[in-house]
Formats: sequence, C-alpha cells, structure tokens
Amino acid sequence: MAAKDSPLKQFEIDPISNIELGGYNISFTNSSFAMLITVLVITLFLTLTVNTRSIIPSRMQLISELMYNFIAQLLSDTVGDNGKRYFPFVFSLFMFVLIGNMVGMIPYQFTFTSHIIVTFALAAVVFIGVTILGFINHGIKFFTFFYIPGVPFYMHPLLIPIEVISYLSRPISLSVRLFANMLAGHTLLKVFAGFVVSMPFFTGVFPLAFIVALTGLEILIAFLQAYVFAILTCLYINDAYHLH
Amino acid sequence: MPQLNPEFFVSQLFWLAVFFTFLFVFLWRVSLPRIATVLEKRQNKIDENLSSAKELQEQAMEIEKKINDQINKAKVETDEKIKETINALQEDVSSQLSSLDKDLEKKVSDAEKEILKSKDDQIKNINNEIANITKLTVGKITDIEVSDNEINKVIEIHKGSFN
Repeated sequence: MAAKDSPLKQFEIDPISNIELGGYNISFTNSSFAMLITVLVITLFLTLTVNTRSIIPSRMQLISELMYNFIAQLLSDTVGDNGKRYFPFVFSLFMFVLIGNMVGMIPYQFTFTSHIIVTFALAAVVFIGVTILGFINHGIKFFTFFYIPGVPFYMHPLLIPIEVISYLSRPISLSVRLFANMLAGHTLLKVFAGFVVSMPFFTGVFPLAFIVALTGLEILIAFLQAYVFAILTCLYINDAYHLH
Repeated sequence: MPQLNPEFFVSQLFWLAVFFTFLFVFLWRVSLPRIATVLEKRQNKIDENLSSAKELQEQAMEIEKKINDQINKAKVETDEKIKETINALQEDVSSQLSSLDKDLEKKVSDAEKEILKSKDDQIKNINNEIANITKLTVGKITDIEVSDNEINKVIEIHKGSFN
C-alpha cells in the first residue's frame, strides 16, 4: 500500500532505536522524536521567555502570556470558576496538539497528530476523565445527563439511546476530527508536491503556488484544530458540572 | 494506511504517555505558576498605580479647594479693607468739612461784628464832624460858644431823622 512514492508514505513509522519492554515493542520512533521535539519546544519556550519575570514583558514573554490568557479565557468562558482546576491540563493539551501540528508542518518532519492512535488516546483521556468527574460531582444522578427535560414522555425511549450514543461517540468524534484534518491536509500537500516534479516544463509552478497557499491554510488548520480540541474539552468539563 | 498498522500502537501510546505526562507535570508545576506570578505581579502593580493616582488626584483636589478658599478669603478681606478705608475717608472729609463750616461761620460772624462796629464808629465820627462843623459854623455866624454837650444833645434828638 505504501509504495515508494505514495502520499501516505510520510505517515509511516520508522523506529530510531528498537526497545522492548515486557514483550512489548516500545521502540523510540520518528513519531516519538516528533513528540520529544514538541515537548522540548513547549517547555523551553514557556520557561525561557518568562525567565526574567519582567513586569513589562519582552515580545517573547508576551507570546507566552497571550497563550496563557487565551486558554484561561477559554476555560472561564465555557466552564466558569470551576474550570480553574483543569487549566494546566487543558493548557497542556492545547499546546501539545498545537505545537505537534506545527512541528508537523516542517518539511520532512513527522506529524504525530495524524495518527489515530495518538489522537484517540488523548480524546480517551479527556472522555474518561470527564466521565469520572461527572460521577464525582453528581454521583448516580449523572445518568440524568441522558434525560432531556421538557420533552414529551413518549420521546424518551428514542432520545435516551441517542443521547447515550452521542455521549459515547465523543472520544471518536474528537479524535477523528483532528486525525482526519491532519491526514487530509498532509496528503493533499504531498499529492501536489508530486505534481510539481511530474508536470512537464515550467507548469510545475502552478502546483507549487498551490502548495504555498495550502501551507498557509494548513497552519491555520493546525491552530484551529488545537483550538477545537481545547474548547471541546472545556465544554465536556462543563457538562460534567452542569447536567442540562 | 500506516495509521491502522498495529505494529507500533504500543510504542506510540507508551511514548505519548511519557511525553504528555512530562509536559503536563512540567507546565503544571513550573511554567504556568511562573506566568501566573508575572501576571499577578503586573495586575498588582497596575492596581497600586491606579490607587496612588487616585490618591494624588484627591490630594490635588484638596489643594485646589484650599487655594480657592484662600482666594475667596482674601477677596472678602480686601473688600472689607476697601470699605473701611472709604468709611474712614468719608468721616475725615465730613469732619474737616464741618470744622471748615464752623471756621467760616465764625469768620463771617466776626466780620459782621467788625462791620457793625465800624459802622458805629463811622456814625460817631460823622456826629463829631457834625458837632465840629456846627460849632464852627455857629461860632463864625453868631459868636456864641456852643458846648459840645449841647450839640450832642441836639444830634441825639435828631438822630432818628437822618439815620
């Protein structure tokens, strides 16, 4: 399937060093390397730019503060005061997805957010965490989340299964949204990159121009998907506090 | 599609867990508190500056009020002084005028007295002259020596008719 020139070849995982632990293959791969780069970029940037702790910020410190305020605002708008506790988690999630997407935009660099297993794991953490949170806050009453008040009683046999299914499909929709966006974007870029070399004479500049424009769009999408991931997490946390 | 190849699922999950946990703990414990302190410090500074600005404004208003009070006070005092001076001047002028009036009255009455006195003197002189003339005339015409007393008696009798 993944031939030498396939646009999907970029998603292949290559082990950098083979590690095995308890019979499981936990090789350090190019995907792990991208994660490492992502984590290093985030931690170093957020640490070094705020190192001086100046009251009048430098430009770089301002960027860190803007990110902080952006997520803090997002969380307080959707969840309110209850949300402050989850700020470090939502912020980490947002930064991890955002910088992961951005690192993926570097040519020849692996995009780990284009792997369903990674995005699904992140979405599953959110889903399980939010469900546990809901039970902690409301106990058994959390099940009334599936019961929509103000609806004729004969509609409930129909609505409750729909609500349950929609609740259970949250991690799937959350993970597939990010994964599919990254997959489609990078595949498209690769397909047009193939056109650049395969088209005759100078006509290759047209797909090249298209790639340039598409790269801009992809950077926008990289941000947008990280934002969507964060805001949906916030909304799910809010649901765990406020049942309808 | 390489994404659906389960060969590296465990590796992906393992490294994701490692790196994401590290990232979360690091941001939670190190980076975010730092940014929070900076933001808090800045907010405190802004609040501090705002409150001190407010205080200074209040002080400025107080000073302005004091200045206005003093200006008003000075105005009132000046008005009073002007009034006092005018009153004093008026009194002075009126007293001087009245003393002048008195002087003038006195002078007028003195002059009147003098005039009366001189009139009397003149009349006496005229009487004397008349007496002398009469004496001379009578002596020349009649050789009769008329005494002064007689002449004066006659004059006194006829005084009313030519006075």
